[in-house]
Amino acid sequence: MTVSSINGTSAAMIQSLVGLRSQLDDLTRQISTGQKSTTYAGLGSQRGVAVSLRSQLSAIDGFDNTAANVNTRINIANTALTSMGDIVTNMKAAIAQSTNVSGINGASQTQSTAKYSLDGALGLLNTQAGDRYLFGGKVTDQPPVASADTILNGDGTRAGLVQMISERKQADLGTNGLGRLNLTNSTIDSVEVTEDASTFGMKLASVSTNMTNAVVSGPTGTPPSVSVNIASGNPNPGENLTVRFNLPDGSTSSVTLTATTDSPPGAGQFTIGASPSATTTNLTAALTTAMQTVANTDLTAASAVQASNEFFNADANHPPQRVDGPPFDTATGLVSGTSSNTVIWYTGDADPGSARATASAQIDTSMTVNYGMRASEQGLRSIVQSAATLAAVTISSTDPNGVALSQALNSRVSGQLSGPPGTQTLQDIQTDLAGAQISINAAKTRHQQQTATLQEYQSQIEGVSNEEVGAEILTLQTRLQASMQVTARMYQTSLVNYLQ
Amino acid sequence: MSLSQALISAISGLNTTQSSLALVSANVANAGTPGYVRKTADQIATAANGTAVSVRVAAVQRELDTYVQKQLRTENAGASYATIRAQFYSQLQSVYGTPGSDTALDTVFNNFTSSLQALQGSPDDPSAQSSVVTNAQLLTQQLNTMTQQIQSLRGAAELGLSDSVDQANDAMQHIADINSQLAGVNTNDASTALLMDQRDSYIDKLSNLMDINVIQGNNNQVTVYTNSGVQLVGTAASKLAFNAQGTVSANTTWNADPTKSGVGTITLTSANGSAVDLIKTNAIHSGTIAGYLQMRDQDLVQAQNQLDALAAGMSSALSDQTTAGTPVTSGPQSGFDVDISGLSAGNTITINYTDGLTHTPRTLTLMRVDDPNALPLSNTATTNPSDKVVGIDFSGGMTAVYGQIAAAMGSTGMAASNPSGNTLRILNDGAGNIVTVNSVSTTKTATSLSGGSAQMPFFVDGSSAYSGAIDSVGSQITGLAGRISVNQGLIGDPSKVVNYGPSVASGDSTRPDFLYKQLSSASLQYPSNTGIGTTGSPFSGSLSTFLRQVISVQGQNADAASNLKQGQDVVQSALQQRFNDASGVNIDQEMANLLTLQNSYAANARVLSAVKDMIDTLMKI
Repeated sequence: MTVSSINGTSAAMIQSLVGLRSQLDDLTRQISTGQKSTTYAGLGSQRGVAVSLRSQLSAIDGFDNTAANVNTRINIANTALTSMGDIVTNMKAAIAQSTNVSGINGASQTQSTAKYSLDGALGLLNTQAGDRYLFGGKVTDQPPVASADTILNGDGTRAGLVQMISERKQADLGTNGLGRLNLTNSTIDSVEVTEDASTFGMKLASVSTNMTNAVVSGPTGTPPSVSVNIASGNPNPGENLTVRFNLPDGSTSSVTLTATTDSPPGAGQFTIGASPSATTTNLTAALTTAMQTVANTDLTAASAVQASNEFFNADANHPPQRVDGPPFDTATGLVSGTSSNTVIWYTGDADPGSARATASAQIDTSMTVNYGMRASEQGLRSIVQSAATLAAVTISSTDPNGVALSQALNSRVSGQLSGPPGTQTLQDIQTDLAGAQISINAAKTRHQQQTATLQEYQSQIEGVSNEEVGAEILTLQTRLQASMQVTARMYQTSLVNYLQ
Repeated sequence: MSLSQALISAISGLNTTQSSLALVSANVANAGTPGYVRKTADQIATAANGTAVSVRVAAVQRELDTYVQKQLRTENAGASYATIRAQFYSQLQSVYGTPGSDTALDTVFNNFTSSLQALQGSPDDPSAQSSVVTNAQLLTQQLNTMTQQIQSLRGAAELGLSDSVDQANDAMQHIADINSQLAGVNTNDASTALLMDQRDSYIDKLSNLMDINVIQGNNNQVTVYTNSGVQLVGTAASKLAFNAQGTVSANTTWNADPTKSGVGTITLTSANGSAVDLIKTNAIHSGTIAGYLQMRDQDLVQAQNQLDALAAGMSSALSDQTTAGTPVTSGPQSGFDVDISGLSAGNTITINYTDGLTHTPRTLTLMRVDDPNALPLSNTATTNPSDKVVGIDFSGGMTAVYGQIAAAMGSTGMAASNPSGNTLRILNDGAGNIVTVNSVSTTKTATSLSGGSAQMPFFVDGSSAYSGAIDSVGSQITGLAGRISVNQGLIGDPSKVVNYGPSVASGDSTRPDFLYKQLSSASLQYPSNTGIGTTGSPFSGSLSTFLRQVISVQGQNADAASNLKQGQDVVQSALQQRFNDASGVNIDQEMANLLTLQNSYAANARVLSAVKDMIDTLMKI
């Protein structure tokens, strides 16, 4: 330091006074703003760190906002899924109850339960979080599923489920109402059941008998047929004949006819005639009646389920398979429907690949959670499909087979509701979402800790301690006052003042 | 000795005392005059016959410490240089904003990335989409504004140079004038001393403007040189000229070739008519002028380059799509096919191959050029430090292009051909086995907002996409930060930040994911003219890391400039103090002198009165 002489023109002294004053101004600014500096230059050597910290904090803030958003969506989805579970429970209860209620009333109760369950399920699948539809995969801007009325009854030119079931029923039952099977008597002592060449109706699975003298064969040939030949002699009473059928939905049904001497025979019986040829005539008549019953109960139910399978197995990339008609009762195959002639129940995203991956959120620098859902996922679709199938099949109160048909339908739908073993269920989806939420919460907790640490570090670099600055201001003030006084004294001590 | 002799001595004593008194009075009056040097009278006794008979003032002495003066002038130059830089840097710092404020560059950038994060979570949300576009616009506007501010600072430096040159000319002219006035005057009287005071003050003024070397000559003459040895003032003054340019932009830089230079240069025309460019010869190292030059041509240009690199990085990261070639074999040869259609000027074809003789992996980069005058390209056209860059002129049709590519393969042993369409086939030499083609890829700039890929021309340079084109004038990157804007198509339809093709689902976050990843974590390389990284090992890192470096480096520079100024101020004021102590007027001292002179006057008067008494006594006899 240069010690200046006692001379009024010390520039250095004035400069240091100005310096002290500007320091004081800066400290006052610091204490009022809480910021060490108004420029990056003033932050010192850690200014780069401050920039990084702010960028990190901004990223964490962004991640947290995303996480909060996604958490809300998952919560809303969870509520919807829980309600879907309730719908399943209600429907199962209604089906179980209907088996206890005799007569056609049970059937109609189940149907009305199914109808409002369908309404409910579709409503839930169109759940929105904000403006975003949650069950449409990547397609979030339009409702992923159509309304119950559209699904069941179609709209204008587009066919709904009811029409598809009806067409399929016509195709499956055939012109003769025997499920596309024909009964012929190639000899007076034999009866043959032959499939037709279509993909519809009942297919012959096997034929078996314990009747004395009877020769059964098949199914063989193209189209396959089975034959029963009793030319060797009449069967004994109590002996029976069983024909098994494969139904369109993969289930089976069978007809068992027991020989009897009663005339007329009871249900499931045929009268042993005077000769094998008379017995054959009786057998043919009994078989026809029995097959008609199967066609109107099991086959109709199976047909409805299969039509429903086709209807619900459709999306933007998979056109629904419809009966190639009209005429439908003689149709031989399926044809792809289009979105202009058939209601596509699910209009959400239909890309191959996991449904979960259709919505993903980055909740940390290297962590992404997937929480997308599609209404067409097996676990959700089976619920809608079951309800829709039950609601779509009309069971006439005057139909003698009504109760049997209702039961055939209920047993199929009931199985579908729980989901076939090994396929995805509602709970699987909920488990996935719960996993995502656990990740989000873990990330959130981590971020809270990080934010606290980072902010503290940042305030160390950018901020000031009020106590420290306050103390500095006091010291500086004292120094400034002292300096000013000394300077003033120095200006006074001039020889000029003492010369007379 | 006689009484009359005593009378004469007393009278001469009174005269010298009066002269000295006049000097004291002048000293006191000029105590506050800048550049005034304290004057003292040199008294000598005049003698006759070996006896002192009277006294007279021989000369007026300037109390000057020339060593301190010389040092002070050097430090003056240093202090002016440091002050100019500190002033400019303090203004430049305000360009980057207050830390954490809404206008700080990093805050604006972070807001943009945050809005992309929000869009990742809700791609279907129109408000999230437009928020991305709005934040991007704020970012580009920020870069535009910062460019304007930096360039207006350069403009201020240009004006400052113009003023400084005028001041220097003025000072030099005065020095020369005073030199000629002092020529031939041998006595050191009060008026000579005053002229020298004036000349010193002009030299001081000049020393603030540039670093000078002052040589004291005979007959009170001084010669002024620059520190590099160019004469500024002798018997006549040289003339400085500065051709100031009205508009200063990122594209106007100083160049040794006057036809290419966009800003003014300083020319010194000496008295004999020879001219020399002082910037080209690097003649000025310090002082205000050097400070302005440093800011205009180095520091501010570098700050601009940093912003340009940031803007270019953002544009390219979001728009550039690198496609690997498909492997292909032809007889014994194998290599790769790439589609070279859709290359924009500045886009590249990168060929990685291994020299079979030395087993050295090498990279050959072919860059599309539309202006043949830009050829040949330097290897620094790409940021990759280890590649060889060959410019391919696309203006002459595709046949010529394939010809140039084949020629570029040159002695590498690789063969280029065009089997069909726009396919470029690069093959090794087959059986010869002197070269292995490891990979061939193309990097293209996406030009469509919905071209079916996540890449998009999010930011544009004016109306066209930024692809880093190089032409004979320069590179597209220069001044990009001032021109960058958000694609108009995007402003018109913000949903394009999600819709990358014709039938993209509303919730598809492919593009937002890509945009966020590129901005937050993708590693890029940055040109070395930013002062961050070197040509040999360029800085590579994410955009946010680079941004941090930019702010950090600028803060560091500003801090250093301010520290340098403070240091220089201390040195300068200490020297000034020493100079003042030695050469300035000390009132106390002058008052003390005044007392002495009063006494001396009284004593001489007493002698006079005694002589009178004695003569009276004689007369009464």
